[in-house]
Amino acid sequence: MQEVPASAAVTAVIDGKTRNFCCHGCLGAYELIHSESLDAFYKQRCDWQPGRPAFASVDAREFAGDIVTDGSTSRIELLLSGIRCASCVWLVEKVLGRLDGIVSARVNYATHRATIEWRTDSITLDTILKTLSGIGYLPRPVRHGTQVEAFSAEKRDLLLRFGTAGFFSMQLMLIIAALYAGFFQGIESTYRLAFQLISWALATPVLFYSGWPFISNAVRSMRNLALNMDVLVALGSLAAYFYSVAMIFTGGEVFFDTSAMIVTFILLGRFLEAGSRLKAGSALAALADLQPREALLVGENGQTSLAALERIGEGALIEVLPGDRVPLDGSVASGEADVDESMLTGESAPVMKSSGSKVYAGTCAITGRLRVRVSGDAKQTLLASIIRTVEEAQARKAPIQGMADRIAGWFVPAIILLAAASFAWWHLAGAPLVTALMNAVSVLVIACPCALGLATPLAILVGTTTLSRKGILVRGGDIFESVSRTTAVVLDKTGTITRGTPTLTDTFSCGATGNFMQCCASLEILSRHPAGRAIAEGWPGEILRVEEFRTIPGMGVSGMIEGQAWLAGSRALLEKENIAISDECLATSARLEASGKTTVFVSCDRKLTGLFGLIDELRDDAGRMIGALRSQGLRLMILTGDNAGVARYIAGKCGITEVCSGLDPIGKAEAVRKLKSGGETVLMAGDGINDAPALTEADTGVTFGTATGIAIESAGITIMNDDLELLGTLLAHSRKSFAVIRQNLAWAFGYNLIAVPLAITGILHPIVSALLMATSSLVVVSNSLRLRKI
Amino acid sequence: MTSTFFLIALGFVIGLGGWALFLWAVRNGQFDDAEAPKYRMLDDDDEVRNKPKKKTVKKEK
Repeated sequence: MQEVPASAAVTAVIDGKTRNFCCHGCLGAYELIHSESLDAFYKQRCDWQPGRPAFASVDAREFAGDIVTDGSTSRIELLLSGIRCASCVWLVEKVLGRLDGIVSARVNYATHRATIEWRTDSITLDTILKTLSGIGYLPRPVRHGTQVEAFSAEKRDLLLRFGTAGFFSMQLMLIIAALYAGFFQGIESTYRLAFQLISWALATPVLFYSGWPFISNAVRSMRNLALNMDVLVALGSLAAYFYSVAMIFTGGEVFFDTSAMIVTFILLGRFLEAGSRLKAGSALAALADLQPREALLVGENGQTSLAALERIGEGALIEVLPGDRVPLDGSVASGEADVDESMLTGESAPVMKSSGSKVYAGTCAITGRLRVRVSGDAKQTLLASIIRTVEEAQARKAPIQGMADRIAGWFVPAIILLAAASFAWWHLAGAPLVTALMNAVSVLVIACPCALGLATPLAILVGTTTLSRKGILVRGGDIFESVSRTTAVVLDKTGTITRGTPTLTDTFSCGATGNFMQCCASLEILSRHPAGRAIAEGWPGEILRVEEFRTIPGMGVSGMIEGQAWLAGSRALLEKENIAISDECLATSARLEASGKTTVFVSCDRKLTGLFGLIDELRDDAGRMIGALRSQGLRLMILTGDNAGVARYIAGKCGITEVCSGLDPIGKAEAVRKLKSGGETVLMAGDGINDAPALTEADTGVTFGTATGIAIESAGITIMNDDLELLGTLLAHSRKSFAVIRQNLAWAFGYNLIAVPLAITGILHPIVSALLMATSSLVVVSNSLRLRKI
Repeated sequence: MTSTFFLIALGFVIGLGGWALFLWAVRNGQFDDAEAPKYRMLDDDDEVRNKPKKKTVKKEK
């Protein structure tokens, strides 16, 4: 670290006192505030000092168990919270690298883990931890035994086994190619024997090191009498192996390549699968990391103290400082703050929270200090329930896969029986033992378990990964399957096919005030209501100063402009204030409401001066999306809680004939149920809390990234980009994926149905069988990879 | 005859080198993070450090 040179210090003598400043900017700001006699600002500011006092709790003792000491140097792996991008990695590595005594510091961007090595004689862990928290990254002990840790250990193990198998198989193929050539063209017997011995040596590590998981799994499953794919894999590769060993001594053909290739290909599939599970697991862990593990508990006397979350229950009062994440769900008891809820809603603009509003664990208070009355413990937060839902979804399989698994359950014992039967039959028919064994092995080898086993999961994996690159998150194979069978699409109106925010369409002025529009805009610009914002946008010019501004909840706003009392809001507000509404204005408002518009009345000094008509317009991309859905032959329907006028207007504009209006949340679910009982497979797209029951009721629920947390939780699919056209992409792609799955299964079954009898008859040499088996797997794999394109 | 086996052995030994490198890389966590290294080349070491440059290989066992 460099010291700040004395010449760079910024000091000023103000009222006889020497004060230090960090820079000239702050000095300028202070001088301005001081000259305006607003020094009280600094007293106020100290009241909500930004920063993270919780950091003071970093305790080196917590990490003691993780330190690995090696003579003069020690090493630790710890979790850093607050890593957001590659530059965070850079910063942490650079800052630590400059400390004296640090040997190395590396941060893993994907797992947020830092591995730090230091010389014990020149620096202590305490200093390192303080430095880390000082630059804004809270170090935490790595939680061992977590799901993610288990996944990454598994992935590494599979990578080692696969890499080894790959290396030996490549060497093996070189030798086997010579033997193949020899089989067809003739080969000197010494060469053949030498090559056979070399290939034996090369195949052994592949089968008994790389293939060990299959063998041990097969043994375990046979002991439990539940035969699985591993049995066939192990049996096929072991039979090919031991048959080949026998052939070396009896002078027949070897096919060690079959046994090695079965193991290598299947390991590749398992490795890819482990990778995708790890990725899903880390995404979850990152979500769980959003929740702080301690909170500032407010005591009886108003003093705050740090307490672990486990000790805080319903009804407790906690404090959230600016910049901190809310630790538990609850409602605001006092204070105001802009809260960033983007992790729950996807909405990037912060939401203003004040007394009475609900706040959720994991969201971040940006500007102010809040005191929150806790509504439930750590397990009951919205964040926790989202994590639970995703975890459950990951374990779910598509029904079609269940069918494949059931068939595979019969397939394996059937193939073993067939192989045994064909051996017995050939042997009894008087064929030499070698021929009988060769035909039996041929049956085992040609039966292609990989094609059957890979047909569904691989296509689903490729299909959902492709969709996730487009920002479409599918929560499980079963959901993906029900999307592909969709026959009817139900759309929520507000916020889904309309913008969700109104725009100004009609302005009527019936008073004499010249600057009517300017005054209305000046008043409404202070309002947080979407209708207010829409009216304010209607005036591009200068804004007047408003005094005594007041919001009347659910009704409108009021304020003084240039000495006149202005009022803007619903008809109910004017009636409450006893302001007369002329018949002409009533007629206009009735006409507006009939065409689906909301009206806002404005009065000045208790006289009606005008009214506005606002409409929630169709989104620009709605038309294209509806066109795409219609071209796929789907039945379309709109559900809305709005009145019939608005619903009819919107439906007419986007060309949908089926509309249900005036529905409450339960009514929407009812409408979906009615469609389902009519034999339709329903996909429902919506985004509000009021859509949640309908989203659950539908076969598939789709929400958009901007939706409320509760809607995301009740939907199976979330489209992170706010792009309606992706709905069409999702439907088309899921249908294509399941077409590919059906092709794969048809191929796998058809192939086995034809090839196995051929092998029994003894027409096929085991080498040809092995080649056919590999080709069959390749057909399934390459067919599935077609799904990488949308 | 001898040359064939010599070449096979040679090919195997060269391959063995690659395999050993692979084992070393997996054990050292070289495959653990595919995201950060591509940004690391953009880091400028514009200041001379006070201490001699050390090998900064992540050591894991």
